[in-house]
Amino acid sequence: MSTTAEPARKAMPSALTFDRHAKCSTTKARASTLKLPHGDVPLPIFMPVATQAALKGLTYDQLRDTGCMLCLNNTYHLGLKPGQEVLDAVGGAHKLQGWDRNLLTDSGGFQMVSLLKLAKVTEEGVRFLSPHDGSPMLLTPEHSISLQNSIGSDIIMQLDDVIATTSPDHARIKEAMERSVRWLDRCIDEHKYPERQNLFCIIQGGLDLELRKQCCEEMVARDTPGIAIGGLSGGEAKEEFCKVVDTCTDILPEHKPRYVMGVGYPEDIIVAVALGADMFDCVWPTRTARFGDAIVSSGTLKLRNRQFADDFSPIEEGCTCTCCRSKEEGGLGVTRAFIYHITAKETVGAHLLTIHNVHYLLNLMKNVRQAIMEDRYPALIRQFFSNIYQGDKSKYPEWAVGALRGVGMDLLADE
Amino acid sequence: MDPETSTTPEMNFSILGSAAPVLAPRVGKLAIPGRQAISTPHFVPLTTRGAVSHIAHDVVRKETAINSLFIGLEDFIEKKHPAPLYKTPVAPGESPLRRFICAPDDMPMILAPRRFPSIPCPPTNTETSVAILTSVGFRQLTAHQYVEAIQKLQPDIAIGLADIVTAKPPGTRRREKMVDRTHAFTRDALEQLYGSSVAEGKTSKAAYFAPVLPLENAQQLLYLEDLENEFREHLSGLALYESTSLSFIPENIGHLPRLLLSEPVTPHEILREVSLGADLMTIPLIGACSDAGIALDFVFPAPASTQERGEPQPLGIDLWPSKHAKDTSPFKKGCECYACRHHHRAYLNHLLAAKEMTAWVLLQLHNHHIMDQFFAGIRDSIQQGTFDEDVYAFNRAYDSELPSQSGEGPRFVFLSLPSYLCPSNKGTIRLRGHYIAPRQGTNHPKRMQKVYGRLDDLSEKFNESQSSVATPDTDAEGLERHGFAEKV
Repeated sequence: MSTTAEPARKAMPSALTFDRHAKCSTTKARASTLKLPHGDVPLPIFMPVATQAALKGLTYDQLRDTGCMLCLNNTYHLGLKPGQEVLDAVGGAHKLQGWDRNLLTDSGGFQMVSLLKLAKVTEEGVRFLSPHDGSPMLLTPEHSISLQNSIGSDIIMQLDDVIATTSPDHARIKEAMERSVRWLDRCIDEHKYPERQNLFCIIQGGLDLELRKQCCEEMVARDTPGIAIGGLSGGEAKEEFCKVVDTCTDILPEHKPRYVMGVGYPEDIIVAVALGADMFDCVWPTRTARFGDAIVSSGTLKLRNRQFADDFSPIEEGCTCTCCRSKEEGGLGVTRAFIYHITAKETVGAHLLTIHNVHYLLNLMKNVRQAIMEDRYPALIRQFFSNIYQGDKSKYPEWAVGALRGVGMDLLADE
Repeated sequence: MDPETSTTPEMNFSILGSAAPVLAPRVGKLAIPGRQAISTPHFVPLTTRGAVSHIAHDVVRKETAINSLFIGLEDFIEKKHPAPLYKTPVAPGESPLRRFICAPDDMPMILAPRRFPSIPCPPTNTETSVAILTSVGFRQLTAHQYVEAIQKLQPDIAIGLADIVTAKPPGTRRREKMVDRTHAFTRDALEQLYGSSVAEGKTSKAAYFAPVLPLENAQQLLYLEDLENEFREHLSGLALYESTSLSFIPENIGHLPRLLLSEPVTPHEILREVSLGADLMTIPLIGACSDAGIALDFVFPAPASTQERGEPQPLGIDLWPSKHAKDTSPFKKGCECYACRHHHRAYLNHLLAAKEMTAWVLLQLHNHHIMDQFFAGIRDSIQQGTFDEDVYAFNRAYDSELPSQSGEGPRFVFLSLPSYLCPSNKGTIRLRGHYIAPRQGTNHPKRMQKVYGRLDDLSEKFNESQSSVATPDTDAEGLERHGFAEKV
């Protein structure tokens, strides 16, 4: 590795504590508590994405009501609007958006590379042409960290060299992995507030398990407070995704939080938890809400379908979110028919369904954590898949069956 | 917020002080059994499809003082009758409308045939129906269907059906027709809802507000006479379409509550309407300001500090300009609304620039609060007997108009409409829901042309992608300033 010649590394203080409470006796699932500067986060956890410092029409009190302790902002977006100068003047993103719980920011590199077609990654950083006036520009690991220092998020991410996992160019994947390690060192050097912001490294290496292992070893040696597994929301096969997560968690230290970036759907999360991952984020639950899609235990309901026009049941029977609880139970008593009536025609429809969807995922994670604590996670997984596929095991996705078998659980066996 | 719930058996409106002064401001209390009482003068919050625009139900309950809802039946009508609304399962005596729109039990609901402000429909009204605009296109709402709606949906207050001509000023003949039809609509509705032929115990509990047409007194004399005599016992209130009508309300129905369906565009106009004796008012201005990114900023009576400034103060703050970007003060100093307690101008400025829906949520909360306070001030002032002086001082203390809009409205555009239906011919409109003003003059679109029910997935996806795939809208130096990257 090109980094072996590095001089003695800067000590890496941590602004978090990670308390592991229980480990599943079958799978690699863990239940723990992540203590961050703005409160304790129960793990495993799903983190809603408030891209531009707002969660799609919800007030932060509504988000608090769902039990959320940690949500995301995107550095790329906050860098564009309102920009570093404003963030510094206002005193960071917590103060900007009036959120007194925890924030996590990504590095901005992912959006940069995927959105700006002319972006080119060099050793210095990401080179691109300003879309506005065509001037050549450079985004470096130092820029990203400086911006995240201004944002003041409780967890910040290193800038990594992102390429699609589906890239066929092995040499490029290797280069990206090695460069990500070098950039991590630059990020550590640049990081001004390690005592209050936790820098996470991002494991790269595409779908090549050997590269991933190397990357894990290199990065773990840098002793960041937490570890992310990156490059896995790019449309790779689910089998490959699971292999990468499984491989990494085997090497990663037990006493640090593991964050699988950009994942995902409830099924992905349930399996990834079994593979030993702790943290997840995805825009899907909030985005899909705006199109009238409700996440329920049997899958997704497209409430804009005519069949729901006179369906007066709650979005999900038994759900304890503010929308689904009946008036008599102190909730709003929102029905599928009302969502059908209002969705995509008035912003309130999106707000209501966003509340439900975020609550669904946070509640799912709460149940997951409880099950791990009581050492009955495999039973929860069985019930979860049974709900989605109406008990028809022949429909269970092979990738999930395979991945779970790899951690000692036979999803197809009867309990 | 500690609403007072009325326990009287039927709607009761009591005017404080002198009985029923003509063309004078008055303070009253509207009490509907089991609902929050409404102190008047007050405004009636408007809804889109049964929801207060941008404010989710739980936020309405926790963070606003909203104590009535104005609901347009046309927002619920679908291709097939009865629409799903009517099928809502309810407990005996419960309102399906209340259940359907998830309104709290103590929230007074005011049902009108059309929402407010309503959009002119190219199809004309008929002897037995009025033209409405639904999410599935233009339809006719028959007088019979509307009475049935009042019976089945059980609103607390029902605004009577009226033959209103909106597209252009009606000619003499048409005006006569307006009166005749509205007269007939009212007579039939009262008979069917409360008349002697209605079986005992089946009479409607909804309070009926009879329309007074936006015409001169002389043109609707016969109708007004019937309102004060023959119809009197079944009337609970009046719905007026212009403030001029306040001048000729017959004396012995002068004590009925008056809901004024007008569109005041400044607080000064609101004060004028109150001074003429309006009790309840619709104020689309609130939502329009929120959509425009304007936080209202006025108090009635004008505080001494404002009056002493020597020059008229702005009525609102446009939060779009970048001068607010680093301003961590509340929209309005000392304001106790949810938005001002939790957020600041810098955040609103960011949300507007980022086109985040939360911007309109916070503005709606603030603007509704300002209007609440404004009306509370009005009631106090009338009771103190200082209303005239206070109005005079207010008019001098504040600008005569609201600041103009500098930014864009919500990006929640759902419909791509044919250009002939768009006021601006731009192909889309900015209003939510499906309300558009047909082009004036000839060349009207074909009746019942299918332009709705075709929610534009593409434009929505496009909007969505804009938010998640933001491209920088600043140049290289701007990006550098933002700490985003450096020029090389």
